[in-house]
Amino acid sequence: MKRFSSRLMELVLFILLLSFISFAFMKLAPGDPVRYILNIDDVAVSEERINELREELGFNDPLVIQYGKWLLQFIKLDLGNSHMTKQPVIEELIEKLPATILLTVTSLFVMTIIAVPIGTISALYKNTWIDHVSRMFALFGASVPSFWLGLLFIQLFSVKFGWLPSMGMGTIQHLILPALTLGIAMAAVYVRLLRSSLLESLGQDFIRAAKARGLSNGRIFFFHAFRHCLVPVITLFGVSLGSLLGGTVIIEVLFSYPGIGKLVVEAIVRRDFPIIQGYILFMGLFVTVINSLIDVSYRYLNPEVRLKEGRS
Amino acid sequence: MLKKYSLPLILLLSLGLSACSSNAKEDDGNPKVKELTFLSNFPSETLDPHLNYTAVRAGVNETLVKINEEMEIEPWLAESWTTTDKGHTWNFKIRNNVTFQNGEKLDAEAVKKSLERNIEVSEAMKTALNIKEMKADGQQLKIVTNEPLPHFPSELVHPNTAILDADEKDIEEKPVGTGPFKTASFSPGNKLELERYDAYWAGKAKLSKATFTFNEDANARTLALQSGDADIVYRPSIESMESLKNDSSIKTDIAPSFRTHLLMYNTKDENLKNLHVRKAFDYLIDREEVASSVMAGQAERAEGPFLSAFPFTPSYDKKEFSIEKAMKHFEHAGFQLKNGKVLKNGKPLSFKLLTYSYRPELPLMAQMLQSEAKQLGITIEIQQVENIDEYMAKKEDWDLATYSLITSPRGDASFFLNTAYMEGGAINPGSINNQELTSKITELNRTLNEEQRNKLAKEAVSLIDKNRFHSFIVHPNNFAAYSDDVLNWKLSKSEYYILTKDVDVKK
Repeated sequence: MKRFSSRLMELVLFILLLSFISFAFMKLAPGDPVRYILNIDDVAVSEERINELREELGFNDPLVIQYGKWLLQFIKLDLGNSHMTKQPVIEELIEKLPATILLTVTSLFVMTIIAVPIGTISALYKNTWIDHVSRMFALFGASVPSFWLGLLFIQLFSVKFGWLPSMGMGTIQHLILPALTLGIAMAAVYVRLLRSSLLESLGQDFIRAAKARGLSNGRIFFFHAFRHCLVPVITLFGVSLGSLLGGTVIIEVLFSYPGIGKLVVEAIVRRDFPIIQGYILFMGLFVTVINSLIDVSYRYLNPEVRLKEGRS
Repeated sequence: MLKKYSLPLILLLSLGLSACSSNAKEDDGNPKVKELTFLSNFPSETLDPHLNYTAVRAGVNETLVKINEEMEIEPWLAESWTTTDKGHTWNFKIRNNVTFQNGEKLDAEAVKKSLERNIEVSEAMKTALNIKEMKADGQQLKIVTNEPLPHFPSELVHPNTAILDADEKDIEEKPVGTGPFKTASFSPGNKLELERYDAYWAGKAKLSKATFTFNEDANARTLALQSGDADIVYRPSIESMESLKNDSSIKTDIAPSFRTHLLMYNTKDENLKNLHVRKAFDYLIDREEVASSVMAGQAERAEGPFLSAFPFTPSYDKKEFSIEKAMKHFEHAGFQLKNGKVLKNGKPLSFKLLTYSYRPELPLMAQMLQSEAKQLGITIEIQQVENIDEYMAKKEDWDLATYSLITSPRGDASFFLNTAYMEGGAINPGSINNQELTSKITELNRTLNEEQRNKLAKEAVSLIDKNRFHSFIVHPNNFAAYSDDVLNWKLSKSEYYILTKDVDVKK
C-alpha cells in the first residue's frame, strides 16, 4: 500500500512537471494560434484585430498566469476546447486513441510473430546460414525507412495484386499493411536483441544446472533460457509501446489511418495548443503506467528481482 | 503434415485477401448504384462548415453566393441582393424552392440562424462579415453591417459562411445543408460517406453515393488512384503526372490556382526603400526557370498578384530576367559597380531573406535568388523560420521573404489589397504605406459599383506593379487525376466546389 501511494505521488508530480514544461515550451515556441483562428490567409484582418483577440483569449497574460488558469481547468478534468474543431480536447483524444492503440497492438503482434521465431532460430543455429539470413533481415529492417516500405507494400498488395486496401480504416484488411510496415521495421531490432539475449542465457550456470538435473531441452529452453532473456526484451517492449504510440504518425499519414498522431500533427501545424498539451499529458500518463506494469512484470519473469525486493 | 495443409491454407489466405479488394462499386449486387471515391489532401477533423471547407467541397452545404469558373460572383442560395445605402444595409432574397436535407424549408429565418451561429463559432467569419444586425421576413433577409462593406456579397462566397440548419444537433459530424448530397457517416480525419439528397433544389444528383477521403501523402494518393481505391485524386505527386498522362485509363486536369508565390520586401530597410533596388531584385528573378524547374512545370509565371483572367487585373509589363538590367538599377540606386560587383560605400551588399518549409518550393526559390545575386557580389543570407508571419510581424531584422498566399479567394481584389498594402494589414509586415495606393484602396472600400470597383482595383494593382512593392513570381497550378470512368468532373479554380450534382460515372 505504501509502495502504491508513493508511486501515485510520483505520478502526480511527474504529470505536473510535464504539464508545466510542455506548456512553457509551447508558449515560448514560435507560432501564434490567433493568426490561425482568424484565418489570416483568407480573411482581411488587421494587426489591431489580432492583438484584440490575443488579449481576449488571455494569450498576452504572463506565462505563469496562463499556466495557472490551465491548471485550474485541468484539476476539474477539463483540458479545454480545440481551436480547430471547438470540441473538448478529451473527447477528441478519446475518439482517436483507440485507433492508434489498435494499430500499435497489431504492430507489436506482427513484430512478435516475426521476431520471436527468427531471433530464436538465429540463436539456436548460431553462425549457420539461417543465422546469416536472419541477421540480413535485421539489417534490412533497421535500415529501410518505414514510409518507403509502406509505399512498396501499397504498390505490391494494392496496385499490383489488388488484395488489400491502400488506405483508410474500418476492416481487418485495412490494418494489415500499416501493421506489417510498422511490425517489420520494429522486428529487426527485436531479432537482434532476442538472439544476443538468448545466446547469453544459454551460456548461464542455471542452464547447465538444469541440464544436470536432467530436464528436457524443450523445458530448459522455454522455462529457463527464454524466460530469462525476456527481461531486456520486455524493457524494450515498454519503450517501443510509448514510442509507437507517438511515432505511428508517418504510417498514419501514409495509410490515411485516423489515429492520434495525425490529429496531433494537424494540431501542431495550426498551433492548436489545447490539443497538443492534452496529447502530451495523455502520452505521459500512458507511458508511465506501461513502465510501471513492466517493472511489476520483472518480478515474475526474473526470480532474482523478486528475491532482492524481499531482502530489502 | 504441414505440407499437406499448406496449399489449402494459401488458397484460403488468398481468397480472404481478394475478398477485401476495393472493387466494391457493384455492392449489394445492385448495378445501378453509381458511386465514386474522391481522395483529397485536405485533412478534415470536423465537418462543421463554419470551421472547415469539406462540407461545401463535398456538396453537403451551400453558400448564399458562389464564384464561378469565369471568376464572377453569382447567386446560389440567394436569388438576388441589393443595397440601399452604399453597402451598409444589404437585402438578400433567399431562393423559394430550397429545402434542407431534413425536409425543412429554407427561409430567411433559417439563413439568419445559420449566420448567427457562424459568427458565434468562427472569429474569422465574425471579423470578415462584420454584421451588426439581421432581420428576417419570409424569404427576405436584411443584413446591417457595422461599417459599409461594398464587397459584402463576395465575403459570402467563403465556404465557412455555408448555410446549415442551426437547429440540428451534431453539426460537427452530420451538418444538415441544402446541397445535392447528405452526410451518411463521417469519421474525422478518415472519410466522409455521402448519399444523394433526392429533393435537391437544382435537380437530383447523378451519383447515388460518394465517399470523400483524405490523405496528405502525394505518393499514396497516386497509388490509391492506380489501385482503384479512389476515382478522383486531388494533387497526385508532381513526378507522377507524366506517367499518369500516359495511362489511358486515367485523365488529368490542370488549372492555375488563385495562389501566388511572391517575394516580399521590407520597405523599412534603408536599401529596399529605394525603388531601383526593388526593381533590381525583380530582374534577378528567373520566373521561367522557377515555373519549369522548381515547380516542375506545374505553375504559370506571375506578372502581378492576380491571374490575368480576373476583371480587375491590369495589363502588366512583362517581367524580364536580366542580370544587366539589375546592375543598371543598382547603379541608379546610387551603388557602385566594380568588376561586375555591386558595392555600397565600397563594401559588398548583404541581405537577409526569410523563407519557410511548409511550401517546399519557397526555400528553393530563395536559393535561386541567392545564386543570381551572388553573381553581382551580393550576399543573401537565407533563414528558414518556423512561422514566417509571426517572425515578420515581431522582428525587423529581415530584408526579403519568399511568401505565398491566395490573393483573390472570393473573386474580389479587396482582401489582398487591404491585408497586404494598408497600414496595419495582417500581411503587411514590410509596412508598405503609400499615400496614393492607400487612397485608391480606401476609395475601393467605399465603392459599390462593380465596374468602378474593378477600375479602382486595376489602378491600385498598377501602382503596386509600378512601385514593385512585391515581386510576384508564379501562380502554382492545381492539378488532379481521375479515372476514365468519371464524367462531367472539372477541377475548380477556387477549390471550393468539388462534388456537384453533375458528376457522374460510366458504370
